[in-house]
Amino acid sequence: MQFDEIVAVRKSSAAWRLLRADNAPLLLSFLGRVFVDDNVREISESALVNLLDDELYSLNKRLGPGTYPRTPKAYLDEWAAADTGWLRKYYVIESDEPHYDATPAVERAVAWVRSLRERGFVGTESRLNTVIELLRQIVYGGSTDAEIRLAELHRRRAELDVEIEAAERGDFHVMDATSRRDRYQQFADIARALLSDFREVESNFRSLDREMRERIATWRGTKGELLDEVVGSRNVISDSDQGRSFQAFYDLLLSADRLDELDDLVRQTQSLDGLPDDDVRLTNIHHDWLDAGTRAQGTVRRLSEQLRRFLDDQAWLENRRVMDLLRNIESSAYTLRDHRIDDFAHEIDSPTPQVHLPLERPLYRRASTVEVASDGIEEGHADGDSTALFEQIHIDPAPLIEHVRSMLRRRDQVTLADVIAETPMEQGLAELITYLSLTDEGFTKVFDESATETVSWTDDVGAHRSAHVPRVIYLRPSHDPDHPEENR
Amino acid sequence: MSRPVPRDELNLPLAVTSLMKGVVYRDTAETAWRHVLGLAAQISDYVATLGLAVVIDEAEGYAFLRSKGDDELADLGIPRLVARHQLPLHTSLLLALLRKKLAEHDTTDAGNRLILTSDQLRELITPFFPVSANEARTADQADTAIRRVVDLGFLRRMPGQDGEYEVRRVIKAYVDAQWLADLDTHLAEYADTMTQEQR
Repeated sequence: MQFDEIVAVRKSSAAWRLLRADNAPLLLSFLGRVFVDDNVREISESALVNLLDDELYSLNKRLGPGTYPRTPKAYLDEWAAADTGWLRKYYVIESDEPHYDATPAVERAVAWVRSLRERGFVGTESRLNTVIELLRQIVYGGSTDAEIRLAELHRRRAELDVEIEAAERGDFHVMDATSRRDRYQQFADIARALLSDFREVESNFRSLDREMRERIATWRGTKGELLDEVVGSRNVISDSDQGRSFQAFYDLLLSADRLDELDDLVRQTQSLDGLPDDDVRLTNIHHDWLDAGTRAQGTVRRLSEQLRRFLDDQAWLENRRVMDLLRNIESSAYTLRDHRIDDFAHEIDSPTPQVHLPLERPLYRRASTVEVASDGIEEGHADGDSTALFEQIHIDPAPLIEHVRSMLRRRDQVTLADVIAETPMEQGLAELITYLSLTDEGFTKVFDESATETVSWTDDVGAHRSAHVPRVIYLRPSHDPDHPEENR
Repeated sequence: MSRPVPRDELNLPLAVTSLMKGVVYRDTAETAWRHVLGLAAQISDYVATLGLAVVIDEAEGYAFLRSKGDDELADLGIPRLVARHQLPLHTSLLLALLRKKLAEHDTTDAGNRLILTSDQLRELITPFFPVSANEARTADQADTAIRRVVDLGFLRRMPGQDGEYEVRRVIKAYVDAQWLADLDTHLAEYADTMTQEQR
């Protein structure tokens, strides 16, 4: 890669940006765990916020409060922003809650950081075998010459014959533990890589769809030419390289025989001795493939459907015309910008028929007058329990103000948490609310919404309670150098 | 995809009353939607007596009742059930701009719903207000236009998401090329008289 190219990638690659981010460890560990390890491909905002909240809580507990001071939602918003591009935020049809999925950039960054870990053993033999096998497939699989094909088949039969003879004599090669480990490692690598590739497959489908739409929208020729050009077949996406390769894979995976064989093989392999059997996920990796594949399949189906709708004659012409008309409308509206436009009105039908049934309207009813008779008033007596009235808590702000002031005598500013740490709260939540609404000429109060603090107290029944509040800072006014409040 | 309701379980009263109350969307009123789909012909006959026609767009996932033309209503001798709103300039303009946004959105994005924040909505319309030092006033006017469009039902506040609005796809049926062409002519004439008065 050339210098300039690398500079460009460094600037534009979301994966590289992720590695350079200040909170990269949090990003990699959290997003890696949820989206890569747990193979989550769509999660609602509230579920993700909960997970992140737990993560932040345990990190802050371990590394000291304030290590990650922001709210989970604030982090998610940042990670899904257009200029970071680590999470895809979108609305699904069935729900009004935003959903998230990781972008391929996350997969890449996580995989790269993982690859930095030292490996005690790197198998190479199996890779060479795979390489040779691949080359054979390319050469013979693509050849149209019957001679070459036959020659290859004969060669393979000869090899097999030799092996069969040897086996009949009881002379066969048993794979030793090292070769087995070597192959298992390669299996694990490919299996995991395949899973992570799905994200990219999906994102490729999506960008293919976008390209298509752009081409259709900016097409200047006739509709017939467009159809010849892009929709020789209506399934543009499924017929792309990406689409075909994926479909072949998916068909293979969907055949029950294959799946059973795979399942069987993986289990047998893992029961062999001498294999690093540390990853239980590999046992069920084909189910994860199936999940991820089904989702990619769903994406393709949805995209094709939408593309077809987009290509639909009427929608296409209508959208065209809308864009043209809007240009005119906008320019007329600009010329009117500095005029009085009060008497302009344009009509539109209501989307709802309006039914006003005559009988629905209330009939005239004379307003009734209430007679007030103040004769013969007797003293009543209470027959209910009135203790509830006396249990109302009234918080006197004066002592609270005094607490804040006394601390401000020693410092220029204190936070609410400082105040409560020094003089514990006695009346619980009501007292906390009073603290939040204190006003006094001796100090000013600032709410710092970007940070939260935790305050805790013990309630009447002895339970320990705590609350998260925005950081409240009480400041000594700066205009009184003589600290007049000290004299009061 | 929703399964059709068996023929003998279809509920005409449910379908018609749902439509009388407003646009029926596949994504927010799935049950009613399925009954409407299954009963399209019966609904059409039924509401015809009220001077209404039913419009169902299966691809976009909405259905609504629209008034028959004024001539047809006159022939039938019945009054118009669907109210016609007079929209001020900026509300009309906002509708047109939203329709454009939806067309643009369709060319770039894979059918996710078009969601705009209130800031984005304001940005759409503010260039068409007079340049003034009083930005608060401009923002108020923009908000008024946005509220009006929400009341009309073409924008929907996303529940639980502060300041996010969904542009409902039914806007395509109302703010169509015909309506926009009318607005275009109307606006051009108006602009003409205004600039002539100034001279």
